[in-house]
Amino acid sequence: MTDPHVQIDRLVKTYAGASKPSVDNISVSLPRGEMLALLGPSGCGKTTVLRMIAGLIAPTSGAILINGRDISAVPVYKRNMGMVFQAYALFPHMSIAENISFGLEMRGIPKAETEVRVRRALDLVKLSGLGERRVGQLSGGQQQRAAIARSLVIEPELLLLDEPLSNLDAKLRDEMRDEIRDIQERTGVTTIFVTHDQDEALSMADRLAVLSQGRLEQIGTPREIFDRPQTDFVASFIGAGNIVVGNVVEPGVADIQGLGRLQFVGGGRAGIPIRLMVRPHRFVLTNVAGNGVNHFSGIVEHIVYRGEIVTLTARSGAAVLKADLPTHAGKLPEKGSRVTLAVAPEDVTVIGDDSQ
Amino acid sequence: MSEGFAPPVDKVPRGLLLLLLVPGLFALVVTFLLPILWLFRASFATSAVKALSGSDWSLEAYREVLLDTFYWQVAWNTLILGVSVAAIAVILSFPIALFLVRTQSRWQGVLTALAVAPLLTSSVVRTYGWMVLLGDRGVINSTLQAMSLTSGPIRLANSSFGATVALVEILMPYAILAMLSGFGRLNAQLEEAATVLGANRFRVFSRIILPLSLPGVLTAALLVFVLAISAYVTPRLIGGGRVFVLGTEVFNEATVTLNWPLAAALSMLLLVLFSSVIVIYQRALRALDT
Repeated sequence: MTDPHVQIDRLVKTYAGASKPSVDNISVSLPRGEMLALLGPSGCGKTTVLRMIAGLIAPTSGAILINGRDISAVPVYKRNMGMVFQAYALFPHMSIAENISFGLEMRGIPKAETEVRVRRALDLVKLSGLGERRVGQLSGGQQQRAAIARSLVIEPELLLLDEPLSNLDAKLRDEMRDEIRDIQERTGVTTIFVTHDQDEALSMADRLAVLSQGRLEQIGTPREIFDRPQTDFVASFIGAGNIVVGNVVEPGVADIQGLGRLQFVGGGRAGIPIRLMVRPHRFVLTNVAGNGVNHFSGIVEHIVYRGEIVTLTARSGAAVLKADLPTHAGKLPEKGSRVTLAVAPEDVTVIGDDSQ
Repeated sequence: MSEGFAPPVDKVPRGLLLLLLVPGLFALVVTFLLPILWLFRASFATSAVKALSGSDWSLEAYREVLLDTFYWQVAWNTLILGVSVAAIAVILSFPIALFLVRTQSRWQGVLTALAVAPLLTSSVVRTYGWMVLLGDRGVINSTLQAMSLTSGPIRLANSSFGATVALVEILMPYAILAMLSGFGRLNAQLEEAATVLGANRFRVFSRIILPLSLPGVLTAALLVFVLAISAYVTPRLIGGGRVFVLGTEVFNEATVTLNWPLAAALSMLLLVLFSSVIVIYQRALRALDT
């Protein structure tokens, strides 16, 4: 294992007058070249973490280490960070090229080199030839590209993106998502971005750090976060889920109160309580009538046809199950009809540490 | 059916729409345009009586104004007073306006109101206030003498120094107001962006704050300049007859020596001075914008 490029060590931020910390003891480390998403609902402290890394907010305690060196005492303007603000923060009194060369000018880079690097940065974000434009003459997507070029041209230690896609319309968002990922891979810059959008985080990041109320809930690859959530919060914040509680009756089988028996992959000692989750889209319809292990019969209470899938809720015993089922041209379940939903044991997610 | 609805604007006959302009236009013509035209006419008369009857045309008043170095001196004094008052008022108001725009304090509204509150007092009263401070036996001079720092009074009032000080203070609220409305492009995030890109405080100020606040600064400077060169009360009162600016001279010629043509010609000079400054200014502002 090589040394991590960035290490965030027990970072805490308590704002003056606040009763509890906005960022509470967060530790994360990133290898060089990784793209990490800080994901969480608004007010979870993710932007505060980002701003502390940039140096715009001073941490209450904890350290931020880059290449093993604590940068807490380094002033913002000497940190060499590339930051893209949510509203881009392009300088309105300068042309796009002047915006991009600003950081180079601050570093005293000679004119000739600046010109070459600005042109290369414009090429990188596909804005070639638009350097002389004013900020107001660019579309939202182009402004974001310019903001990315401006932060990358200085060859920053880290690229920090604050809600990078939130100001774009839906179509542009998909395009920029791939674009940002592509630019990041080509430049190899270690990147941290903040988002409240799970799709954005899952599709762009190498790893996700899920935050809630200032605390780090879980950190892991998109698949780990999605399929092995450690906490109820992660399970319910990332994607929809049917979360159930029960007791292990034998290793790999749990008895769920009011529902029935659920087989899952993993161990567990008999008698211990366990929390399990089934993602709605992992249910399938089965023809086997009645209840059994991993299949549950219920009455459809609510159904929404959404083209590719139907989303239904079915009451089975005391439980209400949510299922997303693929549509087909044949007969689909209707409201009030009886259905049996089945799930494969490997599609049952154990919430929490599954090493027990 | 449709009596309750006004027809769309483009269906209203043009003549009817123009009617809307009539009251304002009428007031402007009667109270501004006609007097200016009359003033223009009067500046070509030879005496107050002839100016009233409008019976003669002469360049006498202009000859007097343009050939007499005294009036050139007066015009020059006025320009210097205007420029220095504008410069000092803007320099002093800039930090205040910057603070008021950027502060996160919940007292922001109260502080802004306080900054412009002096406008509620007449400039005559405020000028007298300055006379109390700056006069030969005023607060400053008596303090200095009591401390034996000076033997006799230093001339603070009755001089262009006093007029400048008083005008700066009187006109600062206007400068602050003009700047507050002109600082719309300032934005804390732009400063953060510049800092992250490697700009220290000085460079953030010179490269971001200053250029973005320039339109507001220039508007404020123009406003103060125009108000200063047309000021009469303050230079007259605090100048004690020793400060000669166009405002005081126009008043003097019109009411003391009753040389109306000369007063009118001086007014025209003031008007030309005004308008040329405004034209140059707007050119400069436009150049900044592009």
